[in-house]
Amino acid sequence: MVDRRDFLKTSAAIAAVGGLTACRRDTPSWESGAIRKPDLSPVAVLPAPQYEETALVDTVTRGVGMFDLDVRDRRVVLKPNLVEFDPNGVINTHPTLIAATIESFRSLGAREVIVAEGPGHRRDNEYLLRASGLHEQLEDMGARFVDLNHDVVRRVGLRSSFTELGELYLPTTVLDADLFVSMPKLKTHHWAAVTLSMKNLFGIVPGSLYGWPKNILHWVGLEGSIIDINAALDVPRFNIVDGIVGMEGNGPIQGEAKQVGVVVFGADPVAVDATCTRLMGIDPWKVGYLSAVEPFLGNLAPEGIEQRGENLSTHQADFRVLEGFSGTKPAPSVSAG
Amino acid sequence: MANWAIEHLLATQNVDGGWAAYAEGPSRTEPSALAVTALGLTSETAGGAGTDAGLAWLRAHQAASGGWPAMEGQRADSWMTSLATLAVSHLEPDGEAARRGADWLLRQEGRTVSWWIKLLVRLRPQTKTVDLDLDLTGWPWTEGTFSWIEPTAYALLALKRLRPSLPARSAADRIDRGERMIIDRTCREGGWNYGNSVVLGEELWPYPDTTALALLALQGRPAAEVEAGLTALSRMLDENRSLLAVSLATLCFRAYERPADTLRTELAARAGPETAMFETRPIALAALALVDGPVPWRVDGDG
Repeated sequence: MVDRRDFLKTSAAIAAVGGLTACRRDTPSWESGAIRKPDLSPVAVLPAPQYEETALVDTVTRGVGMFDLDVRDRRVVLKPNLVEFDPNGVINTHPTLIAATIESFRSLGAREVIVAEGPGHRRDNEYLLRASGLHEQLEDMGARFVDLNHDVVRRVGLRSSFTELGELYLPTTVLDADLFVSMPKLKTHHWAAVTLSMKNLFGIVPGSLYGWPKNILHWVGLEGSIIDINAALDVPRFNIVDGIVGMEGNGPIQGEAKQVGVVVFGADPVAVDATCTRLMGIDPWKVGYLSAVEPFLGNLAPEGIEQRGENLSTHQADFRVLEGFSGTKPAPSVSAG
Repeated sequence: MANWAIEHLLATQNVDGGWAAYAEGPSRTEPSALAVTALGLTSETAGGAGTDAGLAWLRAHQAASGGWPAMEGQRADSWMTSLATLAVSHLEPDGEAARRGADWLLRQEGRTVSWWIKLLVRLRPQTKTVDLDLDLTGWPWTEGTFSWIEPTAYALLALKRLRPSLPARSAADRIDRGERMIIDRTCREGGWNYGNSVVLGEELWPYPDTTALALLALQGRPAAEVEAGLTALSRMLDENRSLLAVSLATLCFRAYERPADTLRTELAARAGPETAMFETRPIALAALALVDGPVPWRVDGDG
């Protein structure tokens, strides 16, 4: 059996698509501008048994309403997870949830709601958007899609040094958003254990500059890249996680569907991802990039998270992980956080 | 009268001579290289003002290194250098820009893993998570990273077109290694994914766009994988009829002298640029696929 350390080091280096390829000699650090950890991070878990639009509009409106989130006259950018299409798979954030979120933010007074993504695998947007059903949803709603792989960019200096990137060119659609909403799907990830609100930000890195599947981020270190991108993004943020049907096993593309039946809401991406990880039966402290950001970016410990909505134990599911991540399980009991 | 794709390219050309990734926006190297090639090879627009302005944009944005950035203001040279070199190789094959671009390509190489990783894999094969030959390298998306199918395919196409003017030994070596890298990454059912064929024991799916590009790059290379790839490409079109897939497949089948008239008819009859969401890349590729006469990106002889 390969332990996780060997697994990550070797697979990353060999495939150039893994987590810890670039083992930094220096201790990672972060600027004061990257420190965003609040005293207490509310996270709401609401039940949503299926992808039914009318019910989901109500769910999203209730979920957003649990937070002090004023979107009136704001330009809201939704960033779903849209990477690949498999007619038998559950890879992407479901278009019905995206449509419900557009409808909800519009009803709350948003000036414009844009859907933006830079697909990480496919360069064939026409196929991906049409096959996934997102194109039809957006057309019906008159909502705009922005391809972040080709958007106008600005150079952004990174505020942490978990990689040696130093800077990234990022899309102005994201940088100029009044509210940026990360909308991942609840999934395991074969190099990073889980892919949630934070990992979803790989999709804002333009492929036209950095390649597909955002290869340089894998090469300089997948977990470090997740951290550096999240620490650099200085825009008002919110997160809505599609946990209605998640993916277990060999995610983020080839795993199996896992019914959970929730949508998760929160402004602190670390707290949201920690909560999702606990829902998946995975210990967030054992997910490398989550434990690494706990000192500065957000709350991971249960005492730093104010649980709203449903009790976690009601919906906790035992997500299967690849052998290399068996050390991330079992999670501590939900009642203990 | 030119086809709808050419009309769209003419209508969306920026005043600086280049093209944006979509109908509006600042000029970028990839769409500009594809669009100007299409204009330059289409009889109605060859030698016209649009072609001249596009070519001037490409010339103006070539860096002193011989490479091209993805966009104005970006400091690093980009993988798009392959496409820009390919464009100028069609429009002024004996020009300085093509030669400098090819020189830049010969200096670039995808990175592979260190000797200790190779040793580790030999000692503990179970740690090898991808099924590929670690010694074969092509071209990366960004300097100093892994080799991928698409940038390697464009680089091979450019080098093969310019081969007579390149140093024979180094060109032959890079072309051979690039071709072998592509063949090594063939999916088991035929065709190509973006980079690998198997990861963590799971077979990856081939895509029509990468398969067509890989096949175009392998022109002149006798290999069983080529025939399997052509078969796989036909099969993939049953599921995916996007403008990108159909355009690249048409270019590929024409280059291999396979029947492509039905696909060309389909492209010509498309409702217009909205079918591809006004993205310049697939529209320019459609224009290229619809070019009459010599087949764009066709490599004669042994490549």
